[in-house]
Amino acid sequence: MIRPILATLVAVFLCATAAAAQTAPAAEPAAESGLQSILQEHHDLVERASRQTVQTVLDALIDSEDEAVPAFLERWQARELYMRNADGLFVYVQNDRADPLVLLDIETGAELGTAGSRDLTALRPNRGVQTVIGAALVQFQLLADDPATRATALQAIERAPEPGQLHMIGRMLDEETDPALRDQAEWLLTRMTIAFAEDEAQRVAAIESLAGDVRVQARAALNPLLLTDRRVAEALPRDANIARVLEPGSAALPRADAYAMLVAAGLAPQEVTAQMRRDALIANITNGTVAGIQVHQLGTEAARARAYAALAAAGAVPPAPTEAEQTAALAAHVFYDEYREPSTAVTAAAAETVAAINTHVGLLEAIDLSLDGISLASIYFLAAIGLAITFGVMGVINMAHGEFIMMGAYTGYVVQLFIPDYTVSILVALPLAFAVTFGAGVAMERLVIRWLYSRPLETLLATFGISIALQQIVRQVFGAQARPFTAPDWLSGSLVFNDVVAISYIRIAIFGLGVLFFVLLWLILNKTRLGLEVRAVTQNPSMASSMGINPDRINMLTFGLGSGIAGIAGVAIGLFAQVTPELGTHYIVQSFMTVVVGGVGNIFGTLAGATLIGFLQKGIEWLNPSNTLAAQTYMILFVILFIQFRPRGIVALKGRAAGA
Amino acid sequence: MRSLLEVSGVSVTFDGFRAINNLSFQIGEPELRAVIGPNGAGKTTFMDIVTGKTRPDEGKVLWGETSVSLLGMSEAQIARAGIGRKFQRPTVFEDQTVADNLMVALKKDRGPFQVLFFRPSPADHARVEDLAAEIGLSAHLQTQAGILSHGQKQWLEIGMLLAQEPRLLLVDEPAAGMSQPERDHTTELLKEAAKTRAVVVVEHDMDFVRKLDCKVTVLHEGSVLAEGSLDHVTSNQQVIDVYLGR
Amino acid sequence: MIALFRQNRSVPVMLAVLVIFAAFVTLLSEGAGTGALSTSLVKTLGMTTCLAIVALAMDMVWGYAGILSLGHMAFFALGGYMIGMWLMVARTEGVIAASLAQAPLPPTPQELTDAVAVQIFGVVGGNSFPWMWAFSHSLIAQLLLVVLVPGLLALVFGWLAFRSRVTGVYLSILTQAMTLALSLYLFQNDTGLRGNNGLSGLQNIPGAESVPQSLMSVWFLWASVAALALAYVFAAWVMAGKFGNVTRGIRDDEARVRFLGYPVEGYKLFVFTGTAIMAGIAGALYYPQAGIINPDEMAPIASIYLAVWVAIGGRGRLYGAVIGAVVVSLLSTWFTGGRAPDINLGFYTIQWVDWWTVLLGLGFVLVTLFAPKGLGGLIDLLARRTPQ
Repeated sequence: MIRPILATLVAVFLCATAAAAQTAPAAEPAAESGLQSILQEHHDLVERASRQTVQTVLDALIDSEDEAVPAFLERWQARELYMRNADGLFVYVQNDRADPLVLLDIETGAELGTAGSRDLTALRPNRGVQTVIGAALVQFQLLADDPATRATALQAIERAPEPGQLHMIGRMLDEETDPALRDQAEWLLTRMTIAFAEDEAQRVAAIESLAGDVRVQARAALNPLLLTDRRVAEALPRDANIARVLEPGSAALPRADAYAMLVAAGLAPQEVTAQMRRDALIANITNGTVAGIQVHQLGTEAARARAYAALAAAGAVPPAPTEAEQTAALAAHVFYDEYREPSTAVTAAAAETVAAINTHVGLLEAIDLSLDGISLASIYFLAAIGLAITFGVMGVINMAHGEFIMMGAYTGYVVQLFIPDYTVSILVALPLAFAVTFGAGVAMERLVIRWLYSRPLETLLATFGISIALQQIVRQVFGAQARPFTAPDWLSGSLVFNDVVAISYIRIAIFGLGVLFFVLLWLILNKTRLGLEVRAVTQNPSMASSMGINPDRINMLTFGLGSGIAGIAGVAIGLFAQVTPELGTHYIVQSFMTVVVGGVGNIFGTLAGATLIGFLQKGIEWLNPSNTLAAQTYMILFVILFIQFRPRGIVALKGRAAGA
Repeated sequence: MRSLLEVSGVSVTFDGFRAINNLSFQIGEPELRAVIGPNGAGKTTFMDIVTGKTRPDEGKVLWGETSVSLLGMSEAQIARAGIGRKFQRPTVFEDQTVADNLMVALKKDRGPFQVLFFRPSPADHARVEDLAAEIGLSAHLQTQAGILSHGQKQWLEIGMLLAQEPRLLLVDEPAAGMSQPERDHTTELLKEAAKTRAVVVVEHDMDFVRKLDCKVTVLHEGSVLAEGSLDHVTSNQQVIDVYLGR
Repeated sequence: MIALFRQNRSVPVMLAVLVIFAAFVTLLSEGAGTGALSTSLVKTLGMTTCLAIVALAMDMVWGYAGILSLGHMAFFALGGYMIGMWLMVARTEGVIAASLAQAPLPPTPQELTDAVAVQIFGVVGGNSFPWMWAFSHSLIAQLLLVVLVPGLLALVFGWLAFRSRVTGVYLSILTQAMTLALSLYLFQNDTGLRGNNGLSGLQNIPGAESVPQSLMSVWFLWASVAALALAYVFAAWVMAGKFGNVTRGIRDDEARVRFLGYPVEGYKLFVFTGTAIMAGIAGALYYPQAGIINPDEMAPIASIYLAVWVAIGGRGRLYGAVIGAVVVSLLSTWFTGGRAPDINLGFYTIQWVDWWTVLLGLGFVLVTLFAPKGLGGLIDLLARRTPQ
């Protein structure tokens, strides 16, 4: 009977010291060892643990540095702790379904005999207490042998960092050997130092260590330091950490907003808006007049102002502050943004570091943009090169080129219907799309285009006729909605360099395809008999035919080749774009632009054109990211102006070959 | 005799190929001149430069009494200044009648607005008929130019040039593809024209050049190789080498 | 005038046909009480007449000057937008003024303007008039803009394109790019013309609310017919003289014309700009009959269809353009309007709403290949045969 009373007395005493320990833990000497004895000292706090008080027990346990503490805390949190009613001893049980229950010592695990379930009280800490215990456990977990446990603990802290955990991470870092965990812990330490450290110099150092760190988290750690509140006062407070002083009427603080702040702060009378005045006048209509003015005369602002002034003079409405009064009120006050963070050194360091990071990020964004530009350029190159070849060799523009691209994409879709393996299906689709569009191109050349060589403008319209017919036929066969054409898994995802620079594998693949076709075409045009003949026909058709080259055959093959490449481009485009009957129309104009800008009859020209158009479009989108329509508009305007300076494109044929 | 056209030190390069190399050339008014030279000698490019189609890399092209530079002027401005050009292939408006072709070429205001309100006077019709008579197409005034024979088209083009009343006429291979009687008529036309103006005829055909009976300039690799009477230049060893090969 | 009639016999024929057509439609319209032709059909006929005007413009620029412009439907739509702005503002002002008449206080001018702006631009999140609506309350100003906006655009674009000697297919592509840029620009909600909502309610003519649509459609038909007649006479007059010869010369042999001393670029610019203005006027007549205009109307494809009409009708003959526009657009209306009977093949039913496009596309290829002179070529053959 004496024992519990004693224990309670001790507990009360220790409570007070523990409270002191909380504020200055390092100063407190290590408590008496022995887990059970510590628990007994805080007996009531353990038995009736509450969120507010349990910390005392935990501090005592942690300070004891007893080896059994982590395991004990886990079991306590897991509601596996029992109390023997007879003497208040805290025990574990071997199996909570057995009867009688076998008791185990909480320090050694030795059996302490048995007890019936009535002799024991199960201690069931509520969720709040569990959370507090969990937080205390974290520091043990940080030092646990199992790296997975340590990683979990770090994540727990990262989710909800608290000031008290700062030293725990420091301790962990003293011993941590796993490099990945070390990195993670060091990052967390930096972040928490910035947020919680009491020493200003430490915080500034931590902030400055982030310069050049382009991760999103780095900026997320710094940005809260730079949060400001907008305030108004009669004079600038001396001790405030002021970010900037604002001039009413400037872009950052419009005059109306500034005055609204004054009104909200009770520093100036409410201004009367046109709407308020109107409502006030309506409320004061008596017998068809307001303050003696006929209602039908109140159709102008000036008349309403007079009527309101009359009402105000009569005391019926509050007087409206005049323009001059408002100006005076604004002039009598200062408007400023104040940092929530009181330390000027910290905010200055943070602002400087954020600026440095942003410069760095800007550079990386430029690199990322270039990667985007390159990938867009390769798409345009693939889409346009076929057009450029046929235009260069035959001088005809094939308006159905976009539909050949679309047919390529649909070929990919159809192949996937039969071959479910995405990798194999793409390997089959590429040559098949080439074959299909090659055939379509040759058929079109034989049936239509060759009759129209002397009438290039009509070729344009005839191929347009084919284009709308093809589009509608595909719509009839496959429907108007998008068809799935899926890339294999190894093509999904992105190659990530850091938080700013990343490029998707599909785009890399398309870039590869573009390079491949550039090299292939260069070889065909420069190293084969066909290429020689094609170039001969391009430069001088009549001369070529007089030298025994059959221009008919060359035209047919060239047209087939150009169309075939459109099919390949279609497969590539179909992998990331929606496969619809209109697919081609989205690319045809860009393809034309590429050809026109690059110059005809030369694959280097197309390459240059595609690069220019691709980079330009990305650049404009970057300047105005919200509006791709505007980006396209400006790009087309640029192309129209570009033609002014290089009417024959970047890579132009010169001399007689350029023709009249 | 003051020169009407003075080309001096002109060079032009296409993709590294020097089509005209430090060429100098003069012609007075009136004068008939034949320019000969092997293929690739730069004859057509020379005409392109004078008529403003090609800009030379260096050199001067001066025109008329006041020595105006032609280099800054457009083709149309040069044409209005008084230089007419006949192309190698006959270029007439095949869709239009002979009379329309000549009427379009008549020396009149060339601006769109003046032309919009232009209605031919009896004098203009008379002038067109005179020209048609001169080129031997009086019977074909209402014929579509497209159905004329090759020679007739060449004449029509010469007639259009004459209608333009140029001071300098550049004629590129006028006799190509013509029968002998047609050639003789062409020779007559050119000689007649050269009585009142400067005429430069570029021609391959030595026989035709001989009939023109005029001073000859030989071009080779973009510059003047020899100049003088036909007999004089054909006795020049360099010219013989160039034409016969070495 | 008489000389023109004598020189180009199609002029008196066309004028006579137009007058008879308009009179005939008037007599059979609902407006005249007979009602054999529905009001919507009368409107379609009036709109078709406007399309014939823009086809005439296209024929001048393509058939005569050899410039395959893929931008004239954009000029047409711009004309429609310009008149549409006035129609919409004036009508909305009327409606708003009527509804505010019940308010306890008479509205101030500012309140009226704001209410109209919210009514018109609320759909794209706006509440004030964009700068380009500065003159929209004035009919005279907007009528001037119908001429000026397409004209200036064509002038600037043409000047840029022609002075850098862009010709042939290149030029077509460039005009197409211009058209695309313009339509993309207008598709944006924040560029001031209500984005893809376009302008609507244009069939309600302010100040003529009491005139029923059945009668209004007849008035517009006559206006359209008169405009077409004027345009036809104008086009015939321009192309009959030396200007026409020079223009056709440019089409057939640009270099020759240039070496004759003609400023070719000036002529092209003149024709391009002049026809753009014609197209703008036609658009200003068309859209009050259509009732709605949106950026889709100026998509590049519309201009390509315009070229198709002219090609099918027959280039280089003014009546060819009129015939092409009338025949193809009426057929198109008939087929896509769901009135053409479907063809049941047993295993497949050909629905013309869908297959008409295919037919048109392939038909166009066939006309290009086998009848380069178009339907007008047939009329030439007949006309040549009959006098003999």
